[in-house]
Amino acid sequence: MAGETTSADDAKNEFNSFVTGLGRGVAGALFLALPMLMTMEMWYLGFTIARERLLLLLLLNIPLLILLAHRIGFEETFTWREAIRDAIIAYGIGIVTSVIVLAALGLLHADMPVSEAVAKIALQSVPASIGAMLGRSQLGHDDTEDDGKETPYHGELLMMAAGALFLSLNIAPTDEMMVLAYKMSIWHAIVVTVLSIALMHGFVYAVSFIGGHELEPETPWWHAFVRFTLPGYVIALAISIFALWIFERLGDSSAVEIMLSVIVLGFPASLGAAAARLIL
Amino acid sequence: MTKSDQGRHRERQDPHWIEWLTGIVSALLVAAILGWLTWEAFTRKATPPDLVVTVLTTEKTTAGHRVAFDIYNTATTTAAAVTVIGRLTDGDRVIEENDVTFDYVAAESKSTGAILFQNDPAGHTVDIRPAGYTDP
Repeated sequence: MAGETTSADDAKNEFNSFVTGLGRGVAGALFLALPMLMTMEMWYLGFTIARERLLLLLLLNIPLLILLAHRIGFEETFTWREAIRDAIIAYGIGIVTSVIVLAALGLLHADMPVSEAVAKIALQSVPASIGAMLGRSQLGHDDTEDDGKETPYHGELLMMAAGALFLSLNIAPTDEMMVLAYKMSIWHAIVVTVLSIALMHGFVYAVSFIGGHELEPETPWWHAFVRFTLPGYVIALAISIFALWIFERLGDSSAVEIMLSVIVLGFPASLGAAAARLIL
Repeated sequence: MTKSDQGRHRERQDPHWIEWLTGIVSALLVAAILGWLTWEAFTRKATPPDLVVTVLTTEKTTAGHRVAFDIYNTATTTAAAVTVIGRLTDGDRVIEENDVTFDYVAAESKSTGAILFQNDPAGHTVDIRPAGYTDP
């Protein structure tokens, strides 16, 4: 008798914590994707984005979500099967949240071509699903849980890529990005590059945030700079190129012009990469 | 490899060689980007926008005719709000005039656009030229 009651309670608790996880997912999707849901360029992309590039973005989002789920997830995930389940749930929350918000803001209507509506929702579901996945870690993170955990080197690099992708998705579609690249001189770009790298390193190692990284006292500072910060910056630039390509921002420009826009986008992307190392 | 404890992460003292390899390749890439940009910054002269229009195709559309063209900015400065005027002329007589505005034509870059005419451009002189721009 007593055993049955306990198992019923357990099932109820599990159900409750799952619903709480869903709620946090919706909250995370809203917090993190609302800026994009309310950006004009993101609505226009719904009918201008090349469909094969959108498909590539949607497909790449799946392994990214699985990796994030494996690390944070809605619940403690220990197996890849659970991580895949959590990733699917996060994608679902992302899609549903995008549909509800886009519809509530009057951006979806019945006389709109189906392909346009679907592309709009699909595009927004990418940041919304990452937001849903981060919702749990941001809003209900229990810091003691990662005690004694070891992150492999490629894990650190992947987290940086996820952070860089999230911020570049926010900023790459906006026209301001290109205007900045057009207005700045090459000297400005060099300053932005140095500033991005310095801030990345400073945020993670120098400023003592919770989740910050430190070195063994006897390790010189440039060890971490070469092993983590510089690869992180290269990843941020690569993600910037990818985001600009997805949103067709590269065009028929000369190499220098492309480099300037990549460096401009690399600034938020590198901060995103640094933030990911602190938060995740 | 990074160890996490009490919300702090500590980088390992004895990294795998792949970490150093990745780091050194990245350092070379960043140095190459900075070196290239510095070289460009010293050698590239800032020239005002220089716009050239090349007509690509003339096609019939449902309600008229479309003349597609390329606009190429050969200079090292971007032009904003570039107005392009297209005229169909017969000798001195202008038959039709339409214009189109490009938000930006980036430095050393190409943009494409089209001007729509009601009259058939065949048999007339087609003249498409940039009319002005603003600095971004």
